Amino acid sequence: MRKPKTYARNYEIPEEELTYSGSVSCPGCGATLAMRYALKALGPKTMVVIPACCWSIIAGPFPYSSLTVPIFHTAFETAGAVSSGIRAALDILGKEDITVMAWAGDGGTFDIGIQALSAAVERNEDFIYVCYDNEAYMNTGIQRSSATPWMAWTTTTPVKHPKDEPKKDIMAIMAAHYIPYTATATIAYPDDMIAKFRKAKSIHGAKFIHVLSPCPPGWKSEASDSIKLSRLAVQSKVFPLYEIEHGEKVTINVWPKDGGVPVSEYLRLQGRFRHLSDENIAAIQAEVDRNWERLVAKAKGSVYTELV
Amino acid sequence: MKKQTEARVITFTSEAEMPMMPASMASTLYNKTGSWRYMRPLYVNKTPPCNAACPAGEDIVMYLQLTAQGRYAEAWETIVRENPFPGVCGRVCPHPCESECNREHLGGAIAIHCQERFLADYAAAHDLGLPMPDVPQRGEHVAVVGAGPAGLSCAYHLRRMGYQVTVFDAGDKPGGMMRLIPEYRLPKEVLEREIAAIVATGVEVKTGVRLGVDVSLDDLKDYAAVFLAVGQSRSRRLGVPGEEATGVLPGIDFLARVARGQRVGLGEKVAVIGGGNTAMDAARTARRLGADVTIFYRRSRAEMPAIDEEVNEALDEGVRIEFLRAPVAVLTENGHVRGLRLTEMELGAPDESGRRRPLPVAGSEYEVACDTVIPALGQVADLSFLDAEVKSERGRIITDEKAATTRPPIFAGGDVATGFGTVTAAVGSGKRAALAIDCFLRGVERTFPDLAQNVQAAPRPHDAAVVRFEDLNTAYFEEEPRPRQEQRPAAERVTTFEEVNLGYGEDAALAEAQRCFSCGTCNECDNCLIFCPDVAVLRGPSDDEPFVFNYDYCKGCGICVSECPRHAISFEEEVKFAET
Ligand SMILES: Cc1cc2nc3c(=O)[nH]c(=O)nc-3n(C[C@H](O)[C@H](O)[C@H](O)COP(=O)(O)OP(=O)(O)OC[C@H]3O[C@@H](n4cnc5c(N)ncnc54)[C@H](O)[C@@H]3O)c2cc1C
Ligand SMILES: Cc1ncc(C[n+]2csc(CCOP(=O)(O)OP(=O)(O)O)c2C)c(N)n1
Ligand code: SF4
Ligand code: SF4
Ligand code: SF4
Ligand code: SF4
Ligand SMILES: [Mg+2]
Repeated sequence: MRKPKTYARNYEIPEEELTYSGSVSCPGCGATLAMRYALKALGPKTMVVIPACCWSIIAGPFPYSSLTVPIFHTAFETAGAVSSGIRAALDILGKEDITVMAWAGDGGTFDIGIQALSAAVERNEDFIYVCYDNEAYMNTGIQRSSATPWMAWTTTTPVKHPKDEPKKDIMAIMAAHYIPYTATATIAYPDDMIAKFRKAKSIHGAKFIHVLSPCPPGWKSEASDSIKLSRLAVQSKVFPLYEIEHGEKVTINVWPKDGGVPVSEYLRLQGRFRHLSDENIAAIQAEVDRNWERLVAKAKGSVYTELV
Repeated sequence: MKKQTEARVITFTSEAEMPMMPASMASTLYNKTGSWRYMRPLYVNKTPPCNAACPAGEDIVMYLQLTAQGRYAEAWETIVRENPFPGVCGRVCPHPCESECNREHLGGAIAIHCQERFLADYAAAHDLGLPMPDVPQRGEHVAVVGAGPAGLSCAYHLRRMGYQVTVFDAGDKPGGMMRLIPEYRLPKEVLEREIAAIVATGVEVKTGVRLGVDVSLDDLKDYAAVFLAVGQSRSRRLGVPGEEATGVLPGIDFLARVARGQRVGLGEKVAVIGGGNTAMDAARTARRLGADVTIFYRRSRAEMPAIDEEVNEALDEGVRIEFLRAPVAVLTENGHVRGLRLTEMELGAPDESGRRRPLPVAGSEYEVACDTVIPALGQVADLSFLDAEVKSERGRIITDEKAATTRPPIFAGGDVATGFGTVTAAVGSGKRAALAIDCFLRGVERTFPDLAQNVQAAPRPHDAAVVRFEDLNTAYFEEEPRPRQEQRPAAERVTTFEEVNLGYGEDAALAEAQRCFSCGTCNECDNCLIFCPDVAVLRGPSDDEPFVFNYDYCKGCGICVSECPRHAISFEEEVKFAET
């Protein structure tokens, strides 16, 4: 293969591909790209646990797979438990060098799988739990989840009755378990994302990574806008990129350029927010600003002493 | 399961062939998702606005990208494939490329002329010779009349295509008007080196031969083709009483004498009439010879044809400019200049040049004292050698877009045909003629763009669509300032003919090249490869094809198209969906 030039590169990411073409994800699927980066970071010695979600389908129908590494398909609510079991089995076989990665949707994480997840991280099982968050139950036709943002349209929160509850703060929930590593990531920042997966792999114990994954059919956005939306989510502070070590040490990894952009830039590219009034947008802006200030305060004030 | 590189379809003919558990046995490569696609991404380099605006047709973006990688020799070769005068043009071209540069919106236009100069100086320092393509030599011999930039460019490009060329010039050295550009803007050694390099490609130059005096057009009949590039060498007259007095010294005559190293007595006070490059150069040269200099120009600053930077530099050097002033008479004493009578002017309705016509203000005449008057009202061509068959109009030889005159195989270009009045335009014009002469001699039909557009001798495959700032993905670019070019301080300048602009060193040149957006031109940033969710962008076989789309699987999402920072990927409807 030709040696790539590097002088104009925006990102340095591993060349090796561990995902295959030919998967049945929708064009422009953020979750599909997220897996590509995750496996590039973790390498071939990885086992993936996938509960019911879009990725159950993206991974290919029997007897095909879209990953070069083993996948264990499992029931909707069980990613945390099954990962714990696979970890234990691998350890018994002396295969501690194999990384176990649970890969679940927001429905499978924020809602139905939260019990198994909480239990597994409470035991500080040595695995990485990834929630690729497309902010609804997409695989079954865009039903709302507790990760769906306030006022978003879904098939179960129609425009006449948009969702009236805020998005659940899963990062705070996970941090409250005081696990070694909790982080956010998204596809427009491949270098940040890959660095976080590598860091997670290097840490022993339970790791949780929350990956915002644009979903063109569910968000009613253009397939070609998936990276742009991911970038705008960060730049508008709707989805800040940060990490929390041991539940306490907060670090913001990407600071929005020139103070950021208004949330309206992010919202207006998505049909699921088309019905929003100016007041709604102002309320979202206020909430985002408040959360950001809180995060910055946490990052600035975090005191953390290494546990012995 | 080992990593697969090919599609494999699994067919079970009986239950017994199926595994005990639903385990995967092959990859999803069996599933050609390319069939879903209704839009197709395509790698298509497009035209950056700088390239479109360069009168010499340089591939600016390409040499900036090569410079950005420290590949200076290749960058220089990229320029000289189109223009053999980068050292001259990097110093004297009014750089219309920079006026169009998309970087203007994020920190200032790329200093393209400084890059060009840096590369030319690099080539000089490393003694690089003009590389000639390995083409068969051709029997046809072409005559070029006029060894200015147009004639030399034509001769060079004809040599590159294998033709035999003889250049005739009335003067004693080749170079044309470039020889009159003063040393403080264009050191002679830079000019000499680039001319010598052209001659070294095998161009025969015969100086001291004036067409119309020493030879006639008919004497050139034996040549396969003739290219007329005699420029505009005659000064326009002031047309006022007293013009014949001693002490009235036309700008180009003055500059020619200084260029030859002759002593010119100017006296204390010098009045320069005009607002073009010749006026600026005459004024600045006179300053360096110790005179007190005032330029009188009949319109206002906005209409001045001189390059803006030159006007500023003249002002910095203590040249005074009086706008809306025109001479009415040269005042004399014993046949020698003692002053000027001037009138104030005002601007009326626009004339055919689109500029507002200056009109004298009645009763505003006044006198100033001076020892020398330098008229610099521009030049006109001396067309006395023409016969009736080669038609001219308003002092210019008429040509079509193939540079052909009304009497083929006589071609014409440069200032005598176009009147564009810059070295780069002359270089482009000479190249166009060379390409047209080649087509003519080979009997090949080819269309040429309008004279106002450039022509390339060695074009890369690219789309003619010009990339605008709005077409770029600016998420990948930061606002970054243009580095300053060092200049000799004005106080020092007026005491010397040493170069005013000091150019960029390697660090500045490298940084500036890296600041270029590379509009429309893939520079292998890898974004398309990195952001494709479906692994449908693969590394390609060569530098000419750094990436390929795997259309078996590309779903046509368009992410690569949107995330290309520089609009080097097109997105087209699949034929099966396009309306027929
Ligand atoms: C003082 C001055 C400063 C300038 N500054 C700039 C500048 O900063 N930037 C810029 O881009 N341009 C500048 N120009 C303009 C530029 O030099 C000309 O536009 C350019 O040289 C025109 O090129 P050409 O080949 O058409 O003709 P010329 O350069 O005029 O060359 C014509 C040649 O033909 C020869 N010739 C004329 N008649 C005959 C004949 N009958 N037989 C044989 N030979 C003949 C002449 O001796 C001459 O060598 C300047 C011009 C002057 C005078
Ligand atoms: C116990 C159970 N309830 C319901 C389902 C049906 N089901 C399959 S996937 C899915 C939605 C998954 O949503 P999410 O976890 O957000 O993943 P996404 O599809 O959005 O990627 C549901 C409801 C199931 N498989 N199991
Ligand atoms: S529905 Fe959304 S998450 Fe699911 S495959 Fe399609 S784009 Fe991806
Ligand atoms: S940024 Fe570079 S490619 Fe674009 S117009 Fe300017 S010089 Fe040309
Ligand atoms: S990003 Fe990939 S799938 Fe999407 S259009 Fe480009 S090559 Fe095709
Ligand atoms: S995204 Fe980068 S690598 Fe791909 S075509 Fe555009 S410039 Fe080239
Ligand atoms: Mg979901």
